[in-house]
Amino acid sequence: MLSGDILVEARRRAAISQAELGRRSGVAPSLIGRYERYEVIPSFERLRELVRACGLDLSFRLVSVDASDHDRVLIERELGRSPAERLRRGLAAGRRFRSLAEHAGGRG
Amino acid sequence: MAEADPLEILRALERQDVSYILIGAAAARIAGVPVVTEDVDVTPASNRENLERLAAALRELGARLRTSTDPEGVSFPVDAEMLASADMWTLTTSAGDLDIHFTPAGTRGYDDLRREASRERLARGLTVAVASLRDVIRSKEAAGRDKDIAQLPLLRRTLEQIREHERKPPELER
Repeated sequence: MLSGDILVEARRRAAISQAELGRRSGVAPSLIGRYERYEVIPSFERLRELVRACGLDLSFRLVSVDASDHDRVLIERELGRSPAERLRRGLAAGRRFRSLAEHAGGRG
Repeated sequence: MAEADPLEILRALERQDVSYILIGAAAARIAGVPVVTEDVDVTPASNRENLERLAAALRELGARLRTSTDPEGVSFPVDAEMLASADMWTLTTSAGDLDIHFTPAGTRGYDDLRREASRERLARGLTVAVASLRDVIRSKEAAGRDKDIAQLPLLRRTLEQIREHERKPPELER
């Protein structure tokens, strides 16, 4: 997730408003709103400070990049489709998987 | 039994004017996450009138309790009072499996999910309220089951790519 969604998630978990987060952190609520809407990208240090003001902390792991970026390609393909088409294809794949599983089970 | 068609479940809910939010893997799929989905998970409003409408839809679908031992499911009295007695129902219907969660993990239920839900047209004459991907992630994180945890990286990655498509060039803080 990116900064704006992390901030919204932290604020929701803490069940506090932008105004309350502003009071706790000393950051203007209007600026918090701009962070959450991705109009401004906070520095890492500022994001961590805001998350901590929600009573939470950020945790990171460094992992290797997927050089083939397989997921990105799959996601981009889905995002190019309509919501209805995405669901239709997802359900069709589900039916195929179930059919294969039942076939394999029947043979076992 | 006819081949399962989860869209028929949603059509029955719409016919009975049930207030609900589509959640889970189907909602994630609609948002653009390349996951497979087989069944339908919904969060209905839990007020009495809505439970009456939900019960009518479930009777229309021939809903039965889903069990691991009986593929046909087990019959139960499908009425508002019964539905109000549990927070979660795992059902099998004439149109496929349906899971009802009144308060999915990490959320406060229908009113909470409705804030970020969007109306999506899924077929001709079928437009439904779908939970935001952010709320799907929130719920799966809170549920913490192995299968939910395994899906989280792909869900988060999709949310990132959606944001990349949505956002204007932002200001960078120094």
